[in-house]
This record gives sequence, structure tokens and C-alpha cells, in this order.
Amino acid sequence: MSDQTVPVLSLRRIAKHYVSGESVVRALDGVSLDIMPGELVGVVGPSGSGKSTMLLIAGLLETPTEGEVFVSGRLVSSPDANLDELRDFRRRNIGFVFQKANLLPFLTAAENVAIALEIDDVPARAALAYATELLEDVDLSHRIHNLPARLSGGEQQRVAVARALANDPTLLLADEPTAALDAVRGRQVIEQFRAIARAREAAVVVVTHDQRALEMFDRIIELVDGKLASIRTPGALEGQVI
Amino acid sequence: MDAGDTSKGIAVNLSFKDIQYRFARFLLTVAGVGFLVTASVGMVGLYRGIIADALLVIDTIGADLWVVQGDRQGPFSEGSAVPLDLDARVESLGNVYNVRRFRQFSYQFLHNGKQSRAAITTLDYPKDNGSWLNLVYGRSIGAAHFEVVADVSSGLHVGETIHMGKDEYRVVGLTAGMVDASGDAMMFITLNDALAISSQRTSEEILLARNAAQAGNQNSGASSSAGRISAVLVSLDAATDPGTVRDAMMNWGDVNVLTQADQSDLLLNQRLWRLRLQILAFTAVLLVVMAIIISLIIYTMTIEKLHQIAMLKLIGARNALIVSMIAQQAAMIGVGGFAFGLLLSNLIFPYFPRRIVMTPEDLGLLFAAVCIVSAGSSLFGISRALSVKAQEVLS
Repeated sequence: MSDQTVPVLSLRRIAKHYVSGESVVRALDGVSLDIMPGELVGVVGPSGSGKSTMLLIAGLLETPTEGEVFVSGRLVSSPDANLDELRDFRRRNIGFVFQKANLLPFLTAAENVAIALEIDDVPARAALAYATELLEDVDLSHRIHNLPARLSGGEQQRVAVARALANDPTLLLADEPTAALDAVRGRQVIEQFRAIARAREAAVVVVTHDQRALEMFDRIIELVDGKLASIRTPGALEGQVI
Repeated sequence: MDAGDTSKGIAVNLSFKDIQYRFARFLLTVAGVGFLVTASVGMVGLYRGIIADALLVIDTIGADLWVVQGDRQGPFSEGSAVPLDLDARVESLGNVYNVRRFRQFSYQFLHNGKQSRAAITTLDYPKDNGSWLNLVYGRSIGAAHFEVVADVSSGLHVGETIHMGKDEYRVVGLTAGMVDASGDAMMFITLNDALAISSQRTSEEILLARNAAQAGNQNSGASSSAGRISAVLVSLDAATDPGTVRDAMMNWGDVNVLTQADQSDLLLNQRLWRLRLQILAFTAVLLVVMAIIISLIIYTMTIEKLHQIAMLKLIGARNALIVSMIAQQAAMIGVGGFAFGLLLSNLIFPYFPRRIVMTPEDLGLLFAAVCIVSAGSSLFGISRALSVKAQEVLS
């Protein structure tokens, strides 16, 4: 059970600048936010607004140019952080889901989930047993032994969700997870995230362009030109301008 | 189980499952590498085969010294003709154990309606009954005339009769792997029969020779070499210094005396020098091509997996897992390709027209080369794979 008062993810004055020739591209510019346990947060904004960059920094896949990243109250990343040394922390605390499921084509659904556990030194048999449970949780008990090529897009995405949950992460980051799915399947995936956030008290951050899904989030964060433009709840007519 | 062991276990699992998933492709890759290995084994084996064929008579006939025409390096490197009775002169020397007269020449004969080619090689019967032949069917020469022992590559069979010169010869035995430096099957007959065949002349030749004799010209080229032999082979008593006997014969002035080592050197470094160099050059080119293609196959295989490698890194895979996975697949392709190439070589090379000699040393070196190429190319792949960032899974 996580501490309900400590944010799972805290970004403090995060900036990411890319130097291109003589010009500097400010992908993120002083973003600060907190995401609490059990919270499902949507991140929206036009292309190039810095959504994916924020996700990469929050997921410890990129270091910020400025600012600090805290996970469950622990300072884990800053401009001088060594990402290779954060590999084990990332594996145990953060799960990822992307637009494409990115499943290994030669492993079955269960093996694709189990591999995340085996990499964490869980014995193969135990890993496979837990992977089966996770797949049952996402209603794929009938697809456990199927290769990805035999699964629909929605089913593949649910396997990716199960894989992201394998190490029981406190933070789940999803980048456009519904973009390749139809409305019904997309809604099912967001509902799955909602259930995960509640049942596991995990923070789930979903970058999305899908306007139909916005009402399902607890909060919606809008980025524009690398800056936090607003944080609002789905029912509110006007966002809280930062 | 420690983390390293777990990584190895997963890597083996991933490597095998990946191969299993694309099994047909893996088989084709292994077959491709295997064919390259086969071609390399063939080129190296052809080189060895040509040397072995060329040295066959020299190495097996059991002569310590070859007495040939004066100032000549015969009979293999250049022509040589010595008198028929030279053997008596040699036999009169001390420490000589055995003396045989030798002649070898190419001959075309009709077999099953087709012209066939053979290297007629003489046995100085009854001194030499062909005990040094690699006989696989029938028997050796047992009569002074009209019997022949042929190599199986001639296509002849025991009991068959062939027409040579003016006579019919019966095949009484078959040898295996006995061909001359050109790859022509050897046919062994008695020296007297060989002289009869080589001295056969047309009526016009006889007429011309008779006219020349009447005109006082005794050096008619057509008949001068027909009654001569190429060399006299000398076997010495045990513990005899070949140099002493050689010096004694060289003092006669009309002969040259070559040791077995001299003959080998003449064949390999003079007569076959260009051919050997050419085959070696082709072999080197083929080995380079093999190395490049195997490298490309393994490197491309790794590049195709970069997205999966990025995904594995994203879910926290250690570098050891990535390295093991690539190295194992490279090893399976290398070892599998070599095994397939070796199997194919053993299946098809016995049917090739020239002998392909596969020595354990050459195969060992080739295997080492394949391993080094596989390891080297997998190192390139590994260095590329390790430079992949986990976020590339988004690309």
C-alpha cells in the first residue's frame, strides 16, 4: 500500500532543450506537476508541445536539461543522472505502454509478459504463472498461448498492458495507447487503466490525442510549446490556467 | 541462480524461440553459409587434390632415385628419354637394391564408342608387379602381355577388353584415386606392351623411316623415342647414402639423377606453380567473400532486431542478455552453416571429376575462420545493439 500523501511522480521545473545548429529548441520549459497514487491523468496538446518528451523524462529514458524528477518521493533524475544506472529502478517502478504494442513476435502472449519478470530474475515457471494471472486480469485467458500475429490490435495492446504491470509498477506511462484502436477498443484500454490505477494505487499518465477519452481521466494536463498551459478536470468548462 | 545465469537462460530461450519462429529463414541462412563453406572446402580440397594427384606416383612408387636424361628434369617436369638398357648399368652399382624402368604417356582409346583419355603408366614386369598400386577390384598384372589395371575413374570394368595399339587388352584390376597431374585416369600395363603401343606407326611413317635409313639418316624422330624409356627408378639398400650413388651415376655424364624430394619440388614449384598460385588466389578471394557474406548476414540479422532490442532495454534487460542473444544466434548460424557445408562436401565432392582432399587440418582452420568471422561480425552487431537506446522503441 503506497503513501497516499506522497506523489508517485513529481516533476520540478523540468526543461529539455535541444541544440540544433545555432538555435535552441525548447521541447519542455519549466514544467512542474505532481501525480498522486490511484490517479489517472491525461496529457494533451498539439504536436510538438512536449508531451512525449515529458513522458520520456518521467520514464527515466531521457535526462532533463534542467529540473528534477521524483518517483514516490525519491529524487531519481536530474541533468547529471546516469540513465544506465537507473535501469533496475525503472524496471521495478515504471511500466510503459505505447501506441504500438511492441510485442516480441516469437513469444506467446504469456511469454511476452513473463519476459519482463524473467529479466528481473524471477524464475521462469513463477514468471509464467504470474503472467497468466495478469493476462486473465485483462480478459485474455483464451489467448495465453497465442503468438502476437494471432492477436487483434486491441488484444496485443492488452498484452502490452499486462507486460507493463508485470513488475507491479507504481507509475504507468502510456504514449498514445489508443491511437491504433477503434473507439470501443480505445475506451476499453482507458477503462483498464482506470481499474489499474484504483486497484493498484498506481499513478497512470496517458498521453493522448483522443478527445473521446478525455472525460475518463481524473485530470487533464495540457501542454503548449513545452509549457504547462492548463490542468483541469473533465467536467470543468474552463481549465485552471497556470 | 544469480543474475548472470538467469540472463543466459533467457537469452538461450529467446535465441531458440526466435529461430523457431523464423525456422525456414534460419534454415535458408544456414544453407547459404553452408554453400559458402562447401565452396571454400572445395577450393582448398581441389588445391590439395591437385598436389596429391601430382605427387601420387612419386610418393607411392617407392623409388629413392630417378635416373633421367642428362641435363633434363624429367620425366614429369619436362621430357626425358633414356636407353632401354640403362637399368643394367645402374644395377651394376653397389648398394642398389632394386631397379625398374619407367615410362608414362597420355593415350586416347575408344571405350563404349567414345574417345577416352588415360595416362599409360608402365610396370616393369616381373620386377614390378604393381604391389604399390591402390587396387580395389580384381588383381594386378599377372602376365607379360595384354593385361591392364585401370583406375575406376576411367569408367572401365574388370573383364572388359579395350583396343590399344594393334592389340586387345583385358582389364584385370581396378585402382582407386590413381590419376596423373592432369586428372587423367592411370592405366597400368607392362613396359613391353607400352613400348609396343608407343612404337606403333602408320605405313607412311614406316616408309619414310626406311627411306631415311637408306639415305643414311638414322635420327628419324618418329622412331627415336618409341624404343626408349623415360627414367630408371632406383631403390637403395637400407642405410645407403643416396648422395654417393647419385654422384657415381652423375659421373657417367649422360644422365641426370633426381631424388624423390627433387621430383616433388620440380612438380610443385615448377610444373604446377602457376596452377597452384591461381587456385590459392581463388581460394583467398572465396574466403574473403565468405567472410563478407557471413558478416553481412549476422550484422543484418542484428539490425533487423534493433526495435526488439530497444523494447528489451525498455523493460530493463541487461546488456549481457542482449550480447548473449546476438552471440548465440551468430554461433548457431556459423556452426550450423559449417556443419551443413561439411555434410554437403562429403555428399557431393566424391562425384566431382577431380579429387577433393579434405584434411582435418584444413577443415579445422576453416572452422576457426568461420568462428572468427562469426564472432567478429557479431561483435559489430553487438556494438550496434548496445548503442540502441530504449526510447528508440518509440521510433
